[in-house]
Amino acid sequence: MESKDWGSMSQLVTTPLEQITTALNIIPNQEYLLQGSVLDNAVEVLLHRLRGLCDNVDTSPEPFYDHEMCFTIMSMESGTQPQPLSLRVRRATDYPDMPFQLRYIGVPEGTGNNARPTIVRSSIDIGTSSTIVEFLTELGCRLDFEYVARGYMFRKGRMKITVSKIFKLNNNGKPPDATEPISQSYLVELSVLAPSGQDAIAEDMRNFAEQLRPLVVLDKIDVKRIPMSMS
Amino acid sequence: MGVTVLQPFPVLDNRTGPQTIDFLTKRVMALGAVQSGQFLVDCDTYVSTPSLPPQRTVHVVHNSEHPASVFAVLENGPKTVPLVADGLFDLLMLKIKNIYPKKQPKIESKGPRFELADFCIKLGSVTISQNFKGVLVEVEYRPCVVAGYCSGLMREFLQGFLGSCVQGLPPYLQNRMEEIYQPINTVEQYLEHFAIYRKPAGFAM
Repeated sequence: MESKDWGSMSQLVTTPLEQITTALNIIPNQEYLLQGSVLDNAVEVLLHRLRGLCDNVDTSPEPFYDHEMCFTIMSMESGTQPQPLSLRVRRATDYPDMPFQLRYIGVPEGTGNNARPTIVRSSIDIGTSSTIVEFLTELGCRLDFEYVARGYMFRKGRMKITVSKIFKLNNNGKPPDATEPISQSYLVELSVLAPSGQDAIAEDMRNFAEQLRPLVVLDKIDVKRIPMSMS
Repeated sequence: MGVTVLQPFPVLDNRTGPQTIDFLTKRVMALGAVQSGQFLVDCDTYVSTPSLPPQRTVHVVHNSEHPASVFAVLENGPKTVPLVADGLFDLLMLKIKNIYPKKQPKIESKGPRFELADFCIKLGSVTISQNFKGVLVEVEYRPCVVAGYCSGLMREFLQGFLGSCVQGLPPYLQNRMEEIYQPINTVEQYLEHFAIYRKPAGFAM
């Protein structure tokens, strides 16, 4: 029995790369995203509303305390301008033994006058060992910026809602000591990770965002259009 | 998962690769080992483009013993950085293929896998794009994760069915006798041997 299992398994693993490319249509590699923010003094009302609307109604929302580092590497395609490629490493500072998370995030689509209901960007989420930071540095990536995000995560079906406060790192760069908030508000994100071509989920997200109005306005935020003087 | 020794087995002039594997199969079966399927360890090597000096190399290794993981080892001059990641890491390598185009043909070791009490034995034929290069025998002693605690036992077991080609534990393990053994250590041993097979000049073992 066991040998039979192994036989079928080796069939599966003979060509891992080909397997993964044929499985592309079931790998969740598209992120649908809506963003917004609330002032500190209004966040309790929003959390209360989310607690009522979301799946984890009987349990308290899941807290997180993450450190994120954003790396870029220049992608050279012959005959074109070098494109920056963005890679993010995220780790839970409250669970140091958990795997690190590496994310590739593509160019967002759906901003501007595009008819899409949400931002859509390609995304690859990979769990990794803690050597990933050194690996990316040696690979030729440059650390662009880093921050600490502390907040709560809610779930509603396939949707994920995070309400988080963004902090700067202090000079010694040790995230758990970071205390200086970047602003007087909380970042609110509504996202779904799905295989490509499942655009119906975007409508569900729009409807859900509608239920959170006017506590928070979730919309397609074009990061490039935010005035730089805000920082 | 336990301490694993990777040992090259010389292929005699009057034998082919498959004959050598058959020969070793008979020996381990005579010891009472039971075959439990096949195994595969493969390695793709990506080299950075000249636009990103200095030149760096990324070896991406899959091991059927750990089907949900991808192992990567980055070489930047004398410095190496190991990484263990999810299967989706392969997709990321596709994303950076402009910076790290694949350079060398795939090298792999595959063959039958046996179990014998606490040991797991794998008889691998090493091939580079279907060309036979040699035989690598992998032996794992599953109850133990510190090489120093089982070195004598493993040497004796290896000599028992491989004979005099086994001098002692390989230098890779000699340098890590007190460390906790991890799956990436097996991958690093494969990479050491693959590098020898890849050398264009002459025969490696």
